[in-house]
Amino acid sequence: MSEEPEPDPGRPWTMERAIEVALLGGLAVSGTLLAAGLAAGRADLLRFGIVALLLTPLMRVAVVTVAFFHERDRVFGLVSLWVLLLVGSSIGLAAWSLGRNLR
Amino acid sequence: MTDPSVVVLLLAGALTGLVGAMLGLGGGVFLVPLLALGLGVPMRAAIAASLMSVVATASVSAAVRINRGLVNMRLGMVLEVATSIGGLAGGITAAYLTQRQLFLVFGLTLFTMGVLMGRRSGRRNVIDDLDTDPGVLGGTLQEGPVTYVYKLRRTPVALGASLAAGALSGLLGLGGGIVKVPILNTFCGIPIRVAAATSTFMIGVTAAASASSYLSRGDMVLPVTAAVCLGAIPGSLLGAKLTDRIDPKVLKVMMAVILLAVGLRMTVAAL
Repeated sequence: MSEEPEPDPGRPWTMERAIEVALLGGLAVSGTLLAAGLAAGRADLLRFGIVALLLTPLMRVAVVTVAFFHERDRVFGLVSLWVLLLVGSSIGLAAWSLGRNLR
Repeated sequence: MTDPSVVVLLLAGALTGLVGAMLGLGGGVFLVPLLALGLGVPMRAAIAASLMSVVATASVSAAVRINRGLVNMRLGMVLEVATSIGGLAGGITAAYLTQRQLFLVFGLTLFTMGVLMGRRSGRRNVIDDLDTDPGVLGGTLQEGPVTYVYKLRRTPVALGASLAAGALSGLLGLGGGIVKVPILNTFCGIPIRVAAATSTFMIGVTAAASASSYLSRGDMVLPVTAAVCLGAIPGSLLGAKLTDRIDPKVLKVMMAVILLAVGLRMTVAAL
């Protein structure tokens, strides 16, 4: 495979780099928690791992939303914000019910 | 419930992650039947595990692909609005349809899309003239030394497909890429790699929303889900790396064959 292209010096690099860090960070955290939870047979670690994995794509939406507003691209900023709020509230509800159902 | 071993679940996750990432899908369309029919995991638990593995696969392939400039972020966000509305509608509709009816509708949809995709495998969506204005939702695509331009055509079709994909995600626990990628490519002028990468960007979000509702209802079996996701991460990493080495024509043919096979399988299961 050819070399990775040099990132542009401008805005795409910043946003795309932030997304990459958010995604890889979320995967590393959730992967570690899930592996530890499976190995130790601990449901609490598995729960945290699942919620961390759920939040990973949401972090990407958050980065994109901030980037659009930063560029003063209000239309796409609002579009992203709508997605962020809708999916975020759904994940928040799940995390809340997980906490409530802890035995 | 039979209890498949962690190793088998890891392998199932790795395999569907590999194929899913190669095709720009989450792999849910393979994982649900594999877990439910092959490994005896209860249907709801299979769907929940599959949705989480879609989240993992989509996140991995998005992280790997993002710097290659394939993801069209604006297009993805606009379509995700339709998908999230479809997801809500799908959740409500699910209450009124039997499992058999769902399988039948879904199977026939996939089958139709497989035929469309197969017929289009020799055609390309790119415009060689670099002076063409791609519009707000179009973009450019770099392929080796050559840069191409593409434009979004038939916007209502793209929005409708996203709505339907969201509904299917809510109904059957898929990311929805298997609907969006063929339609974006066949009807809307989006090159297959851009369609796959942009779809990957969306399906992670869609699947996370759908998975949350399964998690809220207590339908997710945590150890099964964890094992499948842990397999999906390395599998999709490999798949996302491989996709750049494969000819777009081969990708389209693979997608067509898979659509036909899964569509037929689901239709048969419904009859």
